[in-house]
Amino acid sequence: MSWFTNLPSWARWSLAAAVGMFVLTVVQRVSGTDLLTEEGTAQAMLRWSIPILLAGLGGLYSERAGIVNIGLEGMMILGTWFGAWGALNWGPWGGLAAGLVGGALGGLLHAVATVSFGVDQIISGVGINILAPALTRFLSERVFSGEAGGSVSQSPRVDGFGNFTVPGLADFLGTIRDQEIFWISDVAGFSRGFVAEMSWFTLIGLLTVPLSGWLLWKTRVGLRMRICGENPNAGESLGVNIYGHKYLGVIISGGLSGLAGAFIVLELAGLYRGGQTLGRGFIGLAALVFGNWRAIGVLAGSLVFSYPFGLSLVDFNAESSGGATRALLLVIAIALAGVMVWAQRSGKRGDAILAGLFAAIALVWYLGTETAAAWLPNTMPYALVLIVLLFASQRLRGPRTAGLPYRRGET
Amino acid sequence: MKRSWRNLLMLLAVFALAAAACGDSSESNDASEGGDDSGGEAMIGDGVNVGLTFDIGGRGDQSFNDSAAEGIDRAESDFGISFTEAEPNEDGSNRAELLQLQADQSDLVVAVGFLFAEDVRAAAGDNADTNFAVIDDAMLDFDNGAVPWADNIAGLTFAEEQGSFLVGAAAALKSETGTIGFIGGVGGFGLIEKFEAGYTAGAQAVNPDIVVIPQYITQAPDFDGFFAADRAREIALTMYGQDADIIYHAAGGSGAGLFEAAKEQSESSGSKVWAIGVDSDQFNTVSEDVQEFILTSMLKRVDVAVVEVTDAHLNGNFEAGNTVYDLSVDGVGYSTSGGFVDDIVPQLEEFKEQIIAGDIVVPTEP
Repeated sequence: MSWFTNLPSWARWSLAAAVGMFVLTVVQRVSGTDLLTEEGTAQAMLRWSIPILLAGLGGLYSERAGIVNIGLEGMMILGTWFGAWGALNWGPWGGLAAGLVGGALGGLLHAVATVSFGVDQIISGVGINILAPALTRFLSERVFSGEAGGSVSQSPRVDGFGNFTVPGLADFLGTIRDQEIFWISDVAGFSRGFVAEMSWFTLIGLLTVPLSGWLLWKTRVGLRMRICGENPNAGESLGVNIYGHKYLGVIISGGLSGLAGAFIVLELAGLYRGGQTLGRGFIGLAALVFGNWRAIGVLAGSLVFSYPFGLSLVDFNAESSGGATRALLLVIAIALAGVMVWAQRSGKRGDAILAGLFAAIALVWYLGTETAAAWLPNTMPYALVLIVLLFASQRLRGPRTAGLPYRRGET
Repeated sequence: MKRSWRNLLMLLAVFALAAAACGDSSESNDASEGGDDSGGEAMIGDGVNVGLTFDIGGRGDQSFNDSAAEGIDRAESDFGISFTEAEPNEDGSNRAELLQLQADQSDLVVAVGFLFAEDVRAAAGDNADTNFAVIDDAMLDFDNGAVPWADNIAGLTFAEEQGSFLVGAAAALKSETGTIGFIGGVGGFGLIEKFEAGYTAGAQAVNPDIVVIPQYITQAPDFDGFFAADRAREIALTMYGQDADIIYHAAGGSGAGLFEAAKEQSESSGSKVWAIGVDSDQFNTVSEDVQEFILTSMLKRVDVAVVEVTDAHLNGNFEAGNTVYDLSVDGVGYSTSGGFVDDIVPQLEEFKEQIIAGDIVVPTEP
């Protein structure tokens, strides 16, 4: 397997995606559904992945700077409110900017508490998660409840950015899809979901991935931020302003979470509504762990997590619903069987037995049902992270001092 | 260092508590207000306070709760009562406390929504001299022969299936593709299935071959489906993609997502698709941008129920147990705002007559 680990990360993930698509195509044939590789599924997945992606990248900046940010959810909530408020006053760009600033203010609060005052990072984050919904509700009562269509828990309708389609590419992929070649057409149809009728905000969200990778790993300020999370004392001895860079990391983290909130308001719901983030900040943290604290890994995590969810939203017709979601159980069984083989070959017998057991359970479940339970898609992100932690924990490596308080001159 | 850590933590805690306390909107309307409206004349409701307890969403939700708010406003001007409003916090964990708060200052407490059923039973036991009414729950003890839980508890329910039948007929009459959709907020607890059953029956009464695509956003006990506009939008776009040209929602606040999807689909495909609203006349409550896509709304006259239960209370006729508001008392119906269904009103009225006469029995289960 050394050839695989020697590949650059984008190539590794692309290869994994191609293999994943192959499994999906096979399962799709076996289960008699065509939704697993449909364009609509890809579009729903992409739309729903952006808030998770942005929150996960937010977590990346913060944890790379040595601060665990469990307050991503709260900062996202601030982003939803400020996003709606900005969009009402100045249109979509205003909403984007206001969401960013609103979230960044939440990040600033977290930074003041954890960096300057050394408050326990978990406690401060939980505090922000409690504060944010109450604060936005208070603000809604002041601002939205007077306007037509607004109330203490929701804003008037706001406009989104609008969609675009990449001209030649979408037609080209559409042509290949219509050839109905096994796997090739499935890949083309699914990929078309990434280039057809995509929102501009989605593009902005996707562009933050290479931008973050570049900023954190190729620039001086990125290196300085990362040393805050790895060995702040060594950084301090070299004259790096540790406090300042921790502040920067946490504020960017809040800003990205706020952007995630603004995306939910502008592109998914079309209005602010209390409680509409539904724990996506925490799923963002899960994507961060899944992606091994790397920008492209977070992207992969957010896509994998939102796939079952997006699928469940399009998974119905006049006769029944939940048929394609059920087929996912077979995908999981196959994936776990793969893990079993891999664990056996690397000499981890305990892991192999465990994976085989889970694979058998998923297979029996698949064979025993006609439609999947409605709660299944919502649980999958958490189940996936547990599986990844279970079998790949030795390969995961987060920033060494994330979560530990840092005081200048104390070691 | 230790000291500042503690100070900040306390500050944060105080902050959070203060903000959380602000979260509950509990506003009181002056008792004299009603009297002023009547020009100083003594009214039957003078000195009587009604506690209206909204469900999540509250006044301004453009749907269910707004309808109740309209009712209490009318009761205020008609009877001269005063009223207090309350709305639970976002996770609905303080319902019991709000009911007790309302009972302390009111003679009649109206709880808007079946989610209050359990808490009202407890509150009614503790406050024997206050009357309680719950919207959308029969408030009957079905295990012991469907008797009222107590003498001071009334349940106000609606024949939603009858109103849904009429909008289902309207959808079938207006559909050009022969495919229509239904989005339910939360399935699995019986209430929303009534909407689906009536809608499907009404559509099939017009066109036996019509295809109805039903989908629920969440399943009980997950009640997020009533305020998940984002998911409703995605589901609606998929339904429109499956050739449906009219979609009816029974999903409370999630309906905003359906209207958004109707606009988006109409603009991107160039052919107009429709949405049907629920509870309130949603043509009048949504923003102007999406108004033109609302064919009609299934009216559930929560306002009528609120006015009538207040009237009964004031006249000493408060009746424990279940009162059903159906087509015969105009407790449910359809709206004509926007004028999009004006041409089919005669047919709809005919169906209405037949239901009232009992010639058509509308099913309550799909």
